Amino acid sequence: MRNHIRLALAPVALFLGVAALHGAQAKPSVNPAPPRTIELREDGSPFIALNIWVRSGSAADPKGKEGLASLTAALLTGGATTQDSLEQILQKLYPMSAGYGASVDKEMSNITGRVHRDNLDAYYGLFRNAMLSPAFSDADFNRIKAQRMNFLERARRYSRDEELSKQLLFWAAYEGTPYQHPEEGYVDSVRSITLDDVRAFYKAHYPRNNIVVAVGGGLPAGFEARVRKDMDTLPEGTVAAIPAPAPTAPAGMKVVIVEKETDAAPVSFGFPIKLLRNDPDFVPLLIANSYFGEHRNSIGRLYQAIRETRGMNYGNYSYIEAFPAGYATQQPRVNVPRRSQLFEVWIRPISLTAPGNLHERTLFATKTALWELRQLAEKGMTPESVATSKEFLRNYVGTWGATISRRLGYAVDDAFYGTGKPGYLQSLKAAIDATTAEQVNAAIKKHLQADNMHMVVITADAAGFKQKLLSAAPTTITYAGQRSADLLAQDKIIGSYPLEVKDADVRILAIDKVFQ
Amino acid sequence: MRFFAAAVLLAAASMSSVAAQPRGGVFPFPYEVVQLENGFRAYLIKAGAPGQIAYVSIVRTGSRDEVEPGKSGFAHFFEHMMFRGTAKYPLYDAETTKMGAFRNASTWADQTAYYLVANTEYLEKIIDIESDRFQNLKYAEPDFRTEAGAILGEYQQGAREPQRWLNEKVREAVFQTHTYRHTTIGFEADVRAMPNAYEYSKSFYERFYRPDNVVLVIAGDFDNAKARQLISKYYSGWKPGYKTAPIEAEPPQTAPRDATVKYPGRTLPILSVNYRAPEWNPTDRAGVALEVLGQVAFGPNSALSRKLVLEERRVQQLFPSFGLSRDPYVVSVQAMVSNPADVKGVESEIAAAVKRFQETPVDAKLLADTKSSLKYGFLMGMETAQDAAFAVMQVIVSTGRLEPIEDYYKTLEAITPEDIREAARKFLIDTGRTTITVVQEG
Repeated sequence: MRNHIRLALAPVALFLGVAALHGAQAKPSVNPAPPRTIELREDGSPFIALNIWVRSGSAADPKGKEGLASLTAALLTGGATTQDSLEQILQKLYPMSAGYGASVDKEMSNITGRVHRDNLDAYYGLFRNAMLSPAFSDADFNRIKAQRMNFLERARRYSRDEELSKQLLFWAAYEGTPYQHPEEGYVDSVRSITLDDVRAFYKAHYPRNNIVVAVGGGLPAGFEARVRKDMDTLPEGTVAAIPAPAPTAPAGMKVVIVEKETDAAPVSFGFPIKLLRNDPDFVPLLIANSYFGEHRNSIGRLYQAIRETRGMNYGNYSYIEAFPAGYATQQPRVNVPRRSQLFEVWIRPISLTAPGNLHERTLFATKTALWELRQLAEKGMTPESVATSKEFLRNYVGTWGATISRRLGYAVDDAFYGTGKPGYLQSLKAAIDATTAEQVNAAIKKHLQADNMHMVVITADAAGFKQKLLSAAPTTITYAGQRSADLLAQDKIIGSYPLEVKDADVRILAIDKVFQ
Repeated sequence: MRFFAAAVLLAAASMSSVAAQPRGGVFPFPYEVVQLENGFRAYLIKAGAPGQIAYVSIVRTGSRDEVEPGKSGFAHFFEHMMFRGTAKYPLYDAETTKMGAFRNASTWADQTAYYLVANTEYLEKIIDIESDRFQNLKYAEPDFRTEAGAILGEYQQGAREPQRWLNEKVREAVFQTHTYRHTTIGFEADVRAMPNAYEYSKSFYERFYRPDNVVLVIAGDFDNAKARQLISKYYSGWKPGYKTAPIEAEPPQTAPRDATVKYPGRTLPILSVNYRAPEWNPTDRAGVALEVLGQVAFGPNSALSRKLVLEERRVQQLFPSFGLSRDPYVVSVQAMVSNPADVKGVESEIAAAVKRFQETPVDAKLLADTKSSLKYGFLMGMETAQDAAFAVMQVIVSTGRLEPIEDYYKTLEAITPEDIREAARKFLIDTGRTTITVVQEG
């Protein structure tokens, strides 16, 4: 599909410091001056995708108003415009079976949509108005804010514990930085947001010079220029730069335990890594991570050790880039590029099964993951493992750009990072092929370790878990059936894996206080 | 359609029939069917991007076929076992890993679908591996027990969501005899007992994993003649012998039913109003009209949604679920109510909307817009090869064939405002209604 793509960067593509994936850059960096327009033309396609990249995300939320960027984007895409009531907008979109929406991450907000080419003109008019002339009505604001408050007070705390544990890991790791708060904000901060706050955020962060137009698919001639011209009717503005977050590397294990009535406990742990897409170590570490914990795949070491061999839960994965809402998608998210990343391990909820008990099993699974990480960090990968991972990954990455919306999302992310032509996704296969086992092992040695990290556990009886965590007693696992002597011997080693956690480094939070 | 002008049509001697499909219908891609003598059927669809294929094996068995007491959730459990290898390919994951294939499987009430997305160059390898695991699956009891632990983890990761509590209660309240009574993940007690069902699992495979109960869809960019030849080579030796599960029909409901579920977490009240519905049938005007009615009466552009969600903000979300199933199931409208004291009020609003649609034929423009919405929804949902294969899942599950998709869209096109009113009168009736409310405990 990629040979049908013509990437047009117009009119003045300021690719300052452009680096291909193997370019040599001294430290992680992103592109300070992205192009104003991105066009991914795929002639013959019946679909057209739009992605308006606003170069401000939740990191730009004012203190005490966390969640404002997200609420602003939600109001633009879920409210009336000065031309049409919301009712009229919905009526017009309905026969097209189309819509538009927003996603907001730390560094960017994206207003996105997709439509069949039969309906482009009528659709684009609505999309454009949503960007340029939002009505900001009280009715829309109150409705959307009430829905958001319901999410913050109830759904976030009482639906997916595993997603909550992942968000809390970022909250702990980025403490004191603009990356700390979840994009949707806190209960109290969102409660304090007024319609004037939203208007002010729109005015400050949606000037034309903070907006990149990205369009793709079966575009009519001149469409990209038309969208750019429309967005250029927004005023010019000055958007204050936000310094890149520099999270402090934790010393030892910093643990947050959330107390919640539950019968299965998710665990997340991780630590900051100084590595972005343009770093020469990136692809080597991508290969190592695929071997260790490829997302939603059964091939990773973590998955094999905890689920496949021991049957303790539904899956276990690791990441070198942010991957929010991983339970909902198998493919990497687009439009979540960041100037700082974590190495992250996600252990899905550990079942309470008899015999054994929840804490014992949770701790055993955690020790297994840490033990596996230590093996990787200290021993690296064999040349055979590297070859197998490369063989998988070189083809697997071909499934990441399946839709025009995703391909366009990747093009936006390329512009964010300053990835040169032909683009990250398009370069990966060759970059993987060119990577050696020595490079993979050097990247592992440089970036991975198993001693210093943040950890989040959501469980019933948090105090009991803390006690077990601090205890030096070996952890055991009991199986429903007969297991091999080799496995039982390995279990003994893992059960005795020393967790050096200090009492002062363990925090317990009640679920109703989380993200308050 | 984007990349291919026409299907390549060649005869293949080893097959009982090969049919070309005329163009010009709603389904936007050229396709052909391969029919083997053992009952196995494959559809070859030209769709999606160059150089890739989606390979989707649809077993027309799901949790609906779990008729034995204590065996709920087994179709899903069995889906997991299908990744445990064969004598020829003991390591399924390792084999597919080499291809860099994107692979997974999903189980629903009516079907279990196994899918891979991979480069076209692996077509023969995939046909070899997939046909092999459908005919020669082999796993040992300890592996079986281990996998049961993973299933419990899968059960528990969603066990605390209010929606799970709602779904379980709706099924329990509506169905007494039909297997739609249990969810696909199964009753918790049954999930916990799974490690002991090794022998049963083998009979599951024997009865349901047969060529006359499985339909293959290959969508993407590949050579049809080669695919036909390979399908014949690898699937012809598969012995038929599908045994239909003795599923008891649900007797008619004679009175409205109500129940309240107390959820031990935090949630706004969720009101779910359900009505008994017919089975999916592409030529059944009443059933298709009922699906349309769900959109016009309760969809995002409905008068009720405008009133309750946008104007009065009494409901945070309102959504219809009016898709029909292989056997008669329910259609439902669900509302998350802003003020816990207003649940009865919202219920009355839904009842009033139902009454309006029983009395007054729907506005002609709204009906035309709804048909357009359904058509474009269908077209927009088929961007990738995998999408195209999944878009025809319902028709294949219900009829065993793809061709009736055109009948469905012909029926849809013919629906009149009077058909919508008839559907409201026939199906949205008090005696067929079950109302479930999930409320926060304490």
